Amino acid sequence: MTRLISWRQPLGILILADAVIFSMLYLHKQPYDYALIPIGLIIVSLICASYLIIIRKGLGDQYLFLVVGMLASIGFAMIFRLDRAYGIKQAVWLTAGVILFFLSYWIYIKIQMWDRLLFYYMSCSVLLFSATLILGKNIKGATNWIVIGNHTFQPSEIIKILFIFSLACFFKGSQQFIHNNCRIELNWHRTVKRAAIALMAYTFIGFLILQRDWGSAMLFFMIYFVMLYIFDGGWRFLALNAGAAFIGAVGGFMMLYHIRVRVDTWLNPWPHIADKGYQITQSLFAIAAGGFFGTGLGMGKPEFIPEVSTDFIFSAICEEMGILGGVAVVLLYFILAYRGFKIALTVKDIFKKAVALGITSMFGFQTFIIIGGVIKLIPLTGITLPFISYGGSSLTASFIALGILQAISAGDYGETEEQAGEGE
Amino acid sequence: MPVIVSTILKYVFVVIIYLFIFGVIRLIYLDINSINRKGTGGKGHYPYIKLINIRENLGFKVDETYHIDKDIEIGRLNKNGIVINDPYISSRHARFIVRDGKYYIEDQGSTNGTLVNGMAAGRQETCLNDGDKIHMGQLDFLFVDRPHV
Repeated sequence: MTRLISWRQPLGILILADAVIFSMLYLHKQPYDYALIPIGLIIVSLICASYLIIIRKGLGDQYLFLVVGMLASIGFAMIFRLDRAYGIKQAVWLTAGVILFFLSYWIYIKIQMWDRLLFYYMSCSVLLFSATLILGKNIKGATNWIVIGNHTFQPSEIIKILFIFSLACFFKGSQQFIHNNCRIELNWHRTVKRAAIALMAYTFIGFLILQRDWGSAMLFFMIYFVMLYIFDGGWRFLALNAGAAFIGAVGGFMMLYHIRVRVDTWLNPWPHIADKGYQITQSLFAIAAGGFFGTGLGMGKPEFIPEVSTDFIFSAICEEMGILGGVAVVLLYFILAYRGFKIALTVKDIFKKAVALGITSMFGFQTFIIIGGVIKLIPLTGITLPFISYGGSSLTASFIALGILQAISAGDYGETEEQAGEGE
Repeated sequence: MPVIVSTILKYVFVVIIYLFIFGVIRLIYLDINSINRKGTGGKGHYPYIKLINIRENLGFKVDETYHIDKDIEIGRLNKNGIVINDPYISSRHARFIVRDGKYYIEDQGSTNGTLVNGMAAGRQETCLNDGDKIHMGQLDFLFVDRPHV
């Protein structure tokens, strides 16, 4: 126990970092907010307890949760500073997320037949999509929310995971065909298989476009494309998909005013600074105001940016924690993606490999799309920054995905141990 | 006053978060390094000693397994066959001896001693059997002589 919480170990540094964050939060505003003390203690002990459980019980990869714990603490601090009510809600969601993390870990380990449930994943997704289209409420130009009582819920966050599982089922199947020897039949099967994968992926993307959720559509396409590149390996088919996406993007640009605005404000937001370019220019001002070390928590003015606690949280982090803080956040995502890829590389089973890769690329692309958007590197599309942005659906879905990744890493380690034992 | 503290904390925070990233990358580096070295050892070689401790909590480089195919010395100095930078291990700690197909361990007058199955292995050779537990410094190794299913 004493060895685990040493100040040279990352967990010790994480506790120290949380202590500093919470004291900054506590000091930033008079009168002092005493509610912060219990909330801070709960969050820190939650992260420590979960990490120690992972280490002690040997639940697979130990770096994932450490990195995510850091990201979630930074996110919580930023949201609490921006809006106290949101911050308290975020703390509740964070607790729920950690519980769901262990729950999804446990469920994933218990059930062995994930690769045979393709039909259920697809019907669930279609059901959720239809529910969103019928019951959905239009918030900020996209019909992707379901309102139940006082709570809003974004089904596309859960569908992301279902989408990855469905893709993995397909690739598991196609890999088995490649082991067959019959060549002619194989080619024919392959074409059918590819058509089925493409049909499924574009159905998902089509539903998202119907909801006008362009950010998620782009994310789904990127996950699909990466998985295709790795598990299919046919250049012509890949080029075909890239072509289809290009036509789709150009078509969207020509037909829809909504997208033209995004591209216009990406190319040059300055003539539209008072109206449609307001959000992105405020984000750029905020990042510039931060400098290297930032203004300090609570001493900047990130609240001028619309949607600062969800989509634009990275700008707020850059303003108040400096560009060094922002780069640190990006580095943390790097480590997360690296660990994810490593898990995907070491695991033997094609289905698990595909799921691990899909989840990792989901985290990676989501980060790229939104950070790229707010720093005006690519056209802005509203999507959440995993583990940092405010929002129950996003945070819990990310934790569920993380739980699955953790379970895959744990299962793999157990497997290799066994195999080594048998071989010897 | 709180403003000054906040300003100081702001710099402290940036330093800490980079320390954290450095710490995680360092652990990952140790992890990869040991995998690479394990890879060169080759599989199916007996006997070997296997580390029982959780490697990530130690803070120095240790491999998961070391092969004992010839006489080999263990300690902190670089000229040992097995180099482990555990502060509780002496610079020349112990020695594995292979003779007539049998394996022996001999303590080389280390400060903290070497235990085999909880018994101190003195300067005289102690015979090692499959499944024996060897304790040195902060580390526990298992001596493995044949395959286990």
